[in-house]
Amino acid sequence: MSDDAKTRGGRLGAVSGRLGWALLPIVVTAVVLAILPPIWFGDSPYTTSLAVQALVFASYGVGFNLIFGSTNQLFLCVGALAGIGGYGAAILADRTSLPVSAGVAVGTMSAALVGGLLSWIAVRRSLGVIFTGIVTLVFSLGFANLLLGQREWTGAESGLFVEGIPARLRDDQVGGYYLFAALLVAFLVVFRALQLSHVGWAFRALRDDEVAAELAGVNVSRYRIYAATIGSAMIGLTGAVLAYSTGFISPATYSFDRVDVRVLVLVAFGGLGTLLGPVVGAGVFAVLDEQLSSSFELREVLYGVFVILIFLFFRRGIVQAAVSLADRFRGGGRPQPDLQPSGE
Amino acid sequence: MRAVILDGLVLGLAFGLLGVGMSLVYGLGGVINLAYGQIVVLAAIVASLVIEDGRAQLVAAVAGVLAAAGVAVLLDLTLMRPVYREKGEDRTLLGLLLTLGAAFVIGGLLTWRYPDGALYIFIGGDPVSILGVPMARGSIWASVIALVVAALLLLFFGATTFGRGVRSVIQDETGARLVGINPSFVRTVIFALSGALAGIVAVTQSMSGPLGVNAGFELTTFALIVTVVGGLGSVAGAFLAGVLLGVVQSLSAHYIGQYITTIILLGVAALTILVRPRGLLGR
Repeated sequence: MSDDAKTRGGRLGAVSGRLGWALLPIVVTAVVLAILPPIWFGDSPYTTSLAVQALVFASYGVGFNLIFGSTNQLFLCVGALAGIGGYGAAILADRTSLPVSAGVAVGTMSAALVGGLLSWIAVRRSLGVIFTGIVTLVFSLGFANLLLGQREWTGAESGLFVEGIPARLRDDQVGGYYLFAALLVAFLVVFRALQLSHVGWAFRALRDDEVAAELAGVNVSRYRIYAATIGSAMIGLTGAVLAYSTGFISPATYSFDRVDVRVLVLVAFGGLGTLLGPVVGAGVFAVLDEQLSSSFELREVLYGVFVILIFLFFRRGIVQAAVSLADRFRGGGRPQPDLQPSGE
Repeated sequence: MRAVILDGLVLGLAFGLLGVGMSLVYGLGGVINLAYGQIVVLAAIVASLVIEDGRAQLVAAVAGVLAAAGVAVLLDLTLMRPVYREKGEDRTLLGLLLTLGAAFVIGGLLTWRYPDGALYIFIGGDPVSILGVPMARGSIWASVIALVVAALLLLFFGATTFGRGVRSVIQDETGARLVGINPSFVRTVIFALSGALAGIVAVTQSMSGPLGVNAGFELTTFALIVTVVGGLGSVAGAFLAGVLLGVVQSLSAHYIGQYITTIILLGVAALTILVRPRGLLGR
């Protein structure tokens, strides 16, 4: 996936000549992610697994951001799509002796297919933001019920053990950390490449004014389905790799309240449609969770207070707020997401 | 078969009552109140505390309803003000996120303070035979309350001046303002009404079984589905959708099996939205 994105990015670089600038935030992110293990959490499996969780949510966030932030389709089925990836991979590994890569590929493609199909339905029925949200929410609930009902395939509440990955790529090992960090950086490259290409122009046009975009010759439906398919593939891929890396999945791993609520909040916190928003959001929320870990219920309360305050005062997300602050200091230059990810 | 349909109707009226409070707020300004289920739970906990205090069940029920209405008004006067300054989808999204935050706060505080809290309003007496089917008294009471509420709401929106004023705001905010209706006052009243309805849901739900402190999310989800299937802001639509979903649930639980029922129910909801995005009785 990253190779494909790079060649596409290279072709664009020749056209736009701004590739260096455009890739700078990703390079900075990659460097920060790369040096975090040695300087911060080192060999603590606990901290490593927390960091992996943050990376997983950042990756879900990039996919969700591509679907919702770029093309205004509120997909409240991130958990379900990740679960399709994860369970697809796990069931394949459970029933056959195919290699890990086959499981990941099948999981990813199933998620992409389902996401594309949901988008196709939403586009065909021209559902607005809220109705797309509700249809996908209903899909999420149905999927969760399916997982619980198909006991002989999914193991219901008792979950599934997923084997076949080397021990050093486990989610509490530094190898696992780098695996997910690489995945996240690859997603960021794809996201930025899409932003820079003609697809990005179409996304911006249709997000600002759908009717005007349609009149200007942008095939809104087609770009929506593209975004949903690519974003769902990212989410499914993350879910599938997560299944192998943790070695155990259950419906709770991909449940609506654990995944979707959090992804929505952290992407909106970081800034919808921004490149680094999901990364910053995931980092901040991982640190916040760790600080508030004393009582589950009180954590929920503080989480709620935090969500309310954020959306009352930083409506467009923290990344946007920082960018406009930086612009003001520079006297209004070209907006450039030069914020470094914090807390990752 | 008759028993199954009757069960479905009872369940459906409960669904309808659950949906109508959310539907009104949604229809009024495009705000989906994700804290709705938590407000129901709050009413239940308040009522259960009053019962523990040794008061009559009726007093407890009234206290629960008032508490829920109070919290809803509080939400409207604080969090909803910035929401209603926005327009269109920005408004919907901000409303979604802020009420989600409120849901966390209310739900978290309640589970923290009353981890085992639950409301169970006990209606004594033998089952009553209706059309030859024995029905528990609790369910009959719950259904009667739901029917009375539905009738009162229809009367309120159809026959009172204030009710018509509310409908005018639902149709066209600017137009309503031009003829001298204050939309923000109307919204506060509707929030109070929606909160009171949440309180009534807590009372009727707890007549057939205990309503626990963790039920908030599930209640919100069902209310949302009923709202959407019924059509935005439509009282009759919410009850119609509730009854439809209730009968479907009851039939499939009886003839197909419990596990597949939820999926069928969700499928019906999804299908209705896809075939008729305005909802059954939406405009």
